[in-house]
Amino acid sequence: MSSDIDTLPAYGSGGDTTKGIGRWLAGFALRGGSLLAFAAVLTFFSVSAPFFFTLGNIGNVLGQSAILGVLAIGLTIVIIGGGSNVVKGGIDLSLAANLGLSAAVYATLISAGYGDSVAIPGALATGVLIGIVNAIAVVVFGIVPLLATLAVMNVVAGLELVLTQNTVVSASTDFLSVLSSYGPFDIPVLAYVLVIFTVLAGAVVQFTPLGLRLYAVGEFPEAARAAGLPVRRIVAGSYIASGLCGGLAGILSVAYLSGSTTGAGEMLLPVVVTALLSVVFSRRLVPTIGGTLLSTLLVGFLTNGFQLLNISSTLVSGIQGVLILLVVAATSLQHGKGAV
Amino acid sequence: MSTVANPAIKDRFTPKSFGEGVVRYAVIIALAGVFAFFSFATSTFLTSANLASILVNNFTLLAIIAVAMTFAVSAGGIDLSVGTAVDFASFAFVSLVLSGHSVGLAVIAALASGAIVGLVNALLIAGVGITPFLATLGTLFIGRSAQQLLTNGGNPVYLPQTGIPPLFGFIGHGHILGIPVPLVIVGLLIIAASTLLFSTRFGRVVLAIGVQQSVARYSGLRISGHIGLVYVISGFVAALAGIILTSTVSVYIPNSGNAFMLNAIGATFIGTTLSREGRPNVPGTVLGVLLLSIVANGLLLTGLSFYWQQVGTGLLIFIVLAASFLNRSSRSD
Repeated sequence: MSSDIDTLPAYGSGGDTTKGIGRWLAGFALRGGSLLAFAAVLTFFSVSAPFFFTLGNIGNVLGQSAILGVLAIGLTIVIIGGGSNVVKGGIDLSLAANLGLSAAVYATLISAGYGDSVAIPGALATGVLIGIVNAIAVVVFGIVPLLATLAVMNVVAGLELVLTQNTVVSASTDFLSVLSSYGPFDIPVLAYVLVIFTVLAGAVVQFTPLGLRLYAVGEFPEAARAAGLPVRRIVAGSYIASGLCGGLAGILSVAYLSGSTTGAGEMLLPVVVTALLSVVFSRRLVPTIGGTLLSTLLVGFLTNGFQLLNISSTLVSGIQGVLILLVVAATSLQHGKGAV
Repeated sequence: MSTVANPAIKDRFTPKSFGEGVVRYAVIIALAGVFAFFSFATSTFLTSANLASILVNNFTLLAIIAVAMTFAVSAGGIDLSVGTAVDFASFAFVSLVLSGHSVGLAVIAALASGAIVGLVNALLIAGVGITPFLATLGTLFIGRSAQQLLTNGGNPVYLPQTGIPPLFGFIGHGHILGIPVPLVIVGLLIIAASTLLFSTRFGRVVLAIGVQQSVARYSGLRISGHIGLVYVISGFVAALAGIILTSTVSVYIPNSGNAFMLNAIGATFIGTTLSREGRPNVPGTVLGVLLLSIVANGLLLTGLSFYWQQVGTGLLIFIVLAASFLNRSSRSD
């Protein structure tokens, strides 16, 4: 099968020293460039919309980005563990549908009279279960992730429709009120949730032996296998972790929207873009949890800035598109034109 | 998959060959299975009126878009922006007809719009060197914004009931020798696409690039030009679906083409099971589309809620994929 569809450019191996330095410089320029671009975006909006650079607004952006951020972190874990080859490597297209079903399960349980003690585990279990199905499909059946998660996405989106009959199931509990309220410094609780979740996920992925193995498995599965790592279990684990993120995002989305959502599928492409953009914020151009947070915030700030400036939000999707292309073009040129 | 070479010949006389046969013909078996199932389960499925409706209503558009996708996948890529090409073609078609131009000119403009979307992909992929997945994803996002800007935030463009040249509706509703026009177009497209991919030098180069791009390059083939052309063709072919869609419903709805994208990918990859090497191929894609169409139609007839239909379709794709990949991975181990 024509399966060499890489999402991210491959890293050139070897090359002489000058070339190496050149590449390093180019990488530095790209990384610096992306941070610079981020800073420029912030400065531009701060100057043109005075309200933009206030603690309250930044907190709002963080809060509004919480759902996207949690999902994108889930996808990042899968991409790290699966490598950047889209078809053979890691991708989880079922994440957005997962959010939809988990949110629906949560809201339905609440409206059926169950408390949070049932509904929260219910939503998380839904997410994990979807992750397990993905893991089995990818690791046991050997279906390429793009297709496996595509099929699972259809099933999950269908189940959500069956459960909610395509209506919004509203839900309100004390727990949800807390989640959707404002915490210390007048910053939304959801913003704190995003930051805490990123720190936790980042700690596990970037600073533990488990995280290191995840990278090893993704970048060079054969070598990882030869070194005795349980490759299949780690890959399976990455899909289950991603499923858990979907369940968590489902709960956050019920808090944010005071009910289930019928438009969860719309989240899929923004999530994919956010996770893929994360590479430009890392030193070696690999996906990282911190990078994903930054790219989530970049998208969030752009959307917010446009709203404050009364510029049509329809431009956001176009700007996301241009961003991907600029970033990836820069990376591709950096690695030489060979990788068509 | 490139790691799974071609061990089928070696294994021909082992008991495994039965299992392989099942997988090799998984699509056909599944097709026969769902066909038989719906024939017994519902009284209305096996009527000529319904079978014709499957072809016209369920099959046509997805078949065209999946053929477009097959070109990109054949060259080792993917085209996530097929829906964007459908939309732009649809927009150009409606706009030109609305402003009083002839249907012929509108059709040409629509096809050109689709090809331009493909050309953007071609420049990004073959020119700049961006991987197909991201390049076409970028095109999709930019196309989405562009359509919203063109339509004041996403308002549909309706055609009035009167004063539209009859040729406009003929594309979607007319008949040639008793055969619906959309089916004629699909039939010609399938023949043309099969011929182009399997019986021309261009097709052989594209397939070679899809199997092993580096080898194709070292063999002295002109990689970039061929890859670029593949995406232009993909956009051009997808534009056909935009024209038929618009002619059928007389309205352009911004960003409606993306709904086909994932099913087109599904059909193309289901179709790969038909080839011994697991390669994309036009007949396989067409059977994959037929399978999805029959399931969509049959589930509708069983009176199952619309929502269960999506679950059923997903499960079926899942099972077909699991059957084929389970076997392939056991062969490679």
